[in-house]
Amino acid sequence: MKAYIRGIGNISPQKTFTKEEFLENVVSYNNNNMLFCIDPVYKEYINPLQLRRMSRTLRMGVTAAKICLQDSGVEMPDAVITGTGFGCIEDTEKFLLALLHNNEQQLTPTAFMQSTHNTISGQVAIMLKCKEYNSTYVNRGFSFETALLDSLMLIEEKNAHNVLLGGFDENTLNLHATTSRLGHWKKENINSLELLNSKTPGSVSGEGAAFFMLTDKPDENNYALLKGLSMLYKPENKSEVEQHLSNFLKSNNLSPNNIDLVVYGINGDVRTDHVYYHLRDTLFSENAGAYFKHLCGDYYTASAFALWLSANAIKKQVIPEAVKLGKAPSGDLKNILIVNHYRDINYSFMLVSQC
Amino acid sequence: MDALIAKLKTQIIEQLNLEGVAPDDIDADSPLFGEGLGLDSIDALELIVLLEKNYGLKIENPAEGKKIFSTIRSIAEYITANGKA
Repeated sequence: MKAYIRGIGNISPQKTFTKEEFLENVVSYNNNNMLFCIDPVYKEYINPLQLRRMSRTLRMGVTAAKICLQDSGVEMPDAVITGTGFGCIEDTEKFLLALLHNNEQQLTPTAFMQSTHNTISGQVAIMLKCKEYNSTYVNRGFSFETALLDSLMLIEEKNAHNVLLGGFDENTLNLHATTSRLGHWKKENINSLELLNSKTPGSVSGEGAAFFMLTDKPDENNYALLKGLSMLYKPENKSEVEQHLSNFLKSNNLSPNNIDLVVYGINGDVRTDHVYYHLRDTLFSENAGAYFKHLCGDYYTASAFALWLSANAIKKQVIPEAVKLGKAPSGDLKNILIVNHYRDINYSFMLVSQC
Repeated sequence: MDALIAKLKTQIIEQLNLEGVAPDDIDADSPLFGEGLGLDSIDALELIVLLEKNYGLKIENPAEGKKIFSTIRSIAEYITANGKA
């Protein structure tokens, strides 16, 4: 299964919503280990009458989708498919808090009706008047990957030529506090750009909304070719990950030598980053590396940020200084491998190649 | 009445998240729905809750609601007539 990436829209804690910039000036966060998106001027993308009712994540998602559509030149996709771990969590919190504070009385409809996970894909479809296939996957650390898998299958089976694919999750104070109690985030406050050097348990929480126009049509304007996707759930040990990854490369007629850049989902958590370092020391000891979660934080659909990074790196033939890990590639960037896992549970591997 | 109208304008801007709209931009006698502010049925529900929450007034007859919510002034008059101002 494969598809070309025709267009991209990405709203993240970095200034990624313009095509002109590619992480030349990265933003550092020193805010209790929380990263929040940099907002574009939403009024430039969304009708003010619609905008006023939209929560933050809805604005982020719809705007990222619009930027992607504009970038791709595709006016009407054959499908809209999204993945999210928590969906519109801010609206969910708002509605539940009102329910609690008002003793289940005097509840307003807006937050409730926008609290569902498929609000964004639905809003995009309404905005486009797109009555085609529309689906949202909520599979924790596999949410974006499952949406991607569905998109690739639709294209492979020729049920769609152009698929608008999105991955989004938002960070909130409540969510951060709750997941802090579960040990997800660092206890000590760190500067996000120092994440790699932090050898303690936990990571930094982040958010983002990234949309991609996947297409079956080759074109010189395409960003990259998405050549392969594989997922691995709860591997027993590092050897299983290594074996799975080797098989994935073989199934794509590649070996580690053919990979010009490995993008690791290193998140600064000493409890789980050792898997990445193991792969780096074994399979990819000769390969150039990159990492990205110090720029966007960790969240269920952070792999969408990695796909944005990889597709741009392939198209521009540039690896931003801010993401470099170790040696530089010796030649052109032809094949990029994304290796990511969410909390040592959901492992995913994506292969992004030059068109 | 003028004080109540001013207060209502602020509350409506806040409740309906009317970004970029100032109280002075809203004409107390302009229609709230369709023209004027261009509110819709979801906003109507928000306004019903606003009246109940802030003024203890319940609107149970839909026909009555249409008249009450036609303008800011009509809402203020309804609140005053029911002794909740």
